[in-house]
Amino acid sequence: MEFAYTPAQRALQKEVQDFIAKEVTPEVEAEQDEIGRGPLVEAVYDKIKANGWRAISWPKQYGGQDGNRLDQYIVEEEFARVGFSVGGGGSGAPTILAGGNQEQKDKYIAKLISGEWSFCQGFTEPQGGADLAGLQCRAVKDGDDYIINGQKMYTTGAHRATHIYLMARTDPDSKRNAGISIFLIPMDTPGITVRPLWSIQNEPRAPRGTTYGENRTNETFFEDVRVPANCLLGEENNGWNLSAMGLNLDRVGASRYLISVRRDEDIVNWVKDPANADLAANIKDNPSARDRIAECWTEAQVCRLMTLRSMSIVEHEGKFTYEGSAEKVWAPEHGVKTTETIAALLGPYAQLLNGAEDAIESGLYAHNVMGAFQSGINHGSTQIMRDQVALRGLGLPRSR
Amino acid sequence: MAIDPVCGKEVDEAVVRATTGQTEGGANEVDPAQGTRRFHDGKWYYFDSVDCRFRFMANPAAFIK
Repeated sequence: MEFAYTPAQRALQKEVQDFIAKEVTPEVEAEQDEIGRGPLVEAVYDKIKANGWRAISWPKQYGGQDGNRLDQYIVEEEFARVGFSVGGGGSGAPTILAGGNQEQKDKYIAKLISGEWSFCQGFTEPQGGADLAGLQCRAVKDGDDYIINGQKMYTTGAHRATHIYLMARTDPDSKRNAGISIFLIPMDTPGITVRPLWSIQNEPRAPRGTTYGENRTNETFFEDVRVPANCLLGEENNGWNLSAMGLNLDRVGASRYLISVRRDEDIVNWVKDPANADLAANIKDNPSARDRIAECWTEAQVCRLMTLRSMSIVEHEGKFTYEGSAEKVWAPEHGVKTTETIAALLGPYAQLLNGAEDAIESGLYAHNVMGAFQSGINHGSTQIMRDQVALRGLGLPRSR
Repeated sequence: MAIDPVCGKEVDEAVVRATTGQTEGGANEVDPAQGTRRFHDGKWYYFDSVDCRFRFMANPAAFIK
């Protein structure tokens, strides 16, 4: 196995780095800080799209380039460091490509990878948390339509998304993960209501660069929402298998790795920055502190290798079973360890949040501590991921 | 008016459901300060606060009459 990039991949990486140095100006970063995606940020996204970097590894017939998954990763990794998400497709698209009918692929894939449309995930419910098998949202067949009633929790991005990727129970007599189906539903369908849920990162607002710094998530309500049967993804009552595959595919990419290890890079860069010489002196000259940073950085490389392995499996159409789950255990737990280590090394100033006098890096490290714990829960908790590794990866019997 | 099954306060369903705006994708948006609701066992229940709803969810049978 060759771990080094090819000359062409190194050239691509350099091209992206040069683009970022030129286009992601202090003015763009200021806009990211203040409002997130404004006209300056959108202009950069337009140039990224024009360069064909959003969809390198997607099929040409949907606007991609039939390219290599690793090339896509190289681009994603560089842009993720400056807060740009360029993965293309986002949540939902890999599952539609794998499990949707041709009409659904034609309808959704091109618009998802271009960024024109986006999905939020309607999986979690208030009573079930990460236990998706206990969901109560119902979809009842009515002629050629389904009528949906229920409630979803932590639908992050529902206030921005054009569509929701919804799990609902289509067989009310079924138990656990049987009798569940997936629906692709436009957010402007009558009967859908979004209620904001403000996160711990909202007051004070997490600074740019915070991992899991989303200040808002949502509850989403479905009340007699009527959708045509062609909104059903795959076969009725097969939603569990589709969602398990889709969640694993969604976990493949640079973002998962970078969410967990970017803070390792941040602290190394911070210690090396001459502007921080006074505060950093006790760290860079302290053997114990140096050891702890080196240990975290080494573990971060394990995250990276796990991500690359997952992508290699997808690239070579191998059997993808537990690998995404294993990555989802290791990376968030590494993230928690790193944020705690950094907080301990930097001392009391690292506890100050954004806006506080003397806060280091606008409170970045304090906000990262809060975000790191969140990463072990959302998108499938580490406990559930361990169960998946045992069940699917090791073939151990299902827990009772 | 609905009655919050946990704290017993009156909750105006129309206010909880009142649209205060729209999301970018065109869904109706509601004010989070105006109580909330819960779809449980095929029926909507209304609550004065998210705290009441969490208590309800922990043991629905204790609050459903």
